[in-house]
Amino acid sequence: MAEEAGTAAAAGESGRMTMVVALDESEHSYYALQWTLRHFFSADGQQQQYRLAVVNAKPTAASAVGLAGPGITRGAADVLPFVEADLKKSSMRVIDKARELCAQVSDAVFEVVEGDARNVLCEAVERHHAEMLVVGSHGYGAIKRAVLGSVSDYCSHHAHCTVMIVKKPKPKH
Amino acid sequence: MEEKGAAEAAAMSGGEAGAEASAGMKVAVAVDASEESLHALAWALDNIVVRRGVSSLVIVHAQPGADHYVYPVAAHGIAIAYAPAAAIESMRKAQDEISRKVVSRALDACKQREASVNATGAILEGDAKEAICQAVEEMHADLLVLGSRGLGKIKRAFLGSVSDYLVHHACCPVLVVKPSKAHDK
Repeated sequence: MAEEAGTAAAAGESGRMTMVVALDESEHSYYALQWTLRHFFSADGQQQQYRLAVVNAKPTAASAVGLAGPGITRGAADVLPFVEADLKKSSMRVIDKARELCAQVSDAVFEVVEGDARNVLCEAVERHHAEMLVVGSHGYGAIKRAVLGSVSDYCSHHAHCTVMIVKKPKPKH
Repeated sequence: MEEKGAAEAAAMSGGEAGAEASAGMKVAVAVDASEESLHALAWALDNIVVRRGVSSLVIVHAQPGADHYVYPVAAHGIAIAYAPAAAIESMRKAQDEISRKVVSRALDACKQREASVNATGAILEGDAKEAICQAVEEMHADLLVLGSRGLGKIKRAFLGSVSDYLVHHACCPVLVVKPSKAHDK
């Protein structure tokens, strides 16, 4: 279920390059969006060469509840509507904040797509015919990455376009 | 591991980077002898330099240290590493030649496309992953561009992936350029 806030025009028109930026609620992805805006969409009179598509992947309510643990499955059906409403709210918050940040971008599309982040992002790249995907990174170590899974890892291997992974620099450097 | 090239790269691009630090960004592109890295450089030039906000472009090439060519030799059941000094010297010279060719091929690609970018080359010695990581940190690059051989999961685990390592350990954002679809198997 994709709610598109703008038209997704055909890529290649007027020679612009499409960039998909992945967004979730974490600080890391906002940082990635801000970094991208700062370096690729600066509004200093320069004609903007890129088209921006901001994609938020909203997990399905069932998968979110499943993650909480096996003990919850019995009451799961009751909890689902609340979980769904909460997820929708948080996606809206993410998109609103993104809209604010991208105020000066002339050609920006904002989407919320339901599903697992990995697949959502790869599919969004195909849909927009994007030349580049930008993801933040939680900076997990090898073990956390193996246990929690890493969207940025998956995307960098499976997306069909160039992938840029933006990490928040560690403060102690 | 000595990085004889990194110091000279820092000196060369230090002046330019200082002048335009606010306006542009400093992009480092890692190259080796493979086609994919040249493709990555071409992609970066076409899609990022187009923006014209790039203050400097640094081509980094990591040359494997001569230690790679020292093989253990079993003599009477005892394995020792034997490498005559002359062999090491000639290996090193051959490596230098190759590195120079790789970097100059990359610089040529830059010149062909865009005359307005200051492109400099740097040759680093040692293990590719760590050398590039350190160089990027020292030169305060804003972005690192890499090619990717498009290895599957298993090959990646065995052969090691420089791009994987750099994505996790580099201090700046990393851009991984995939081989174009024509090369996909």
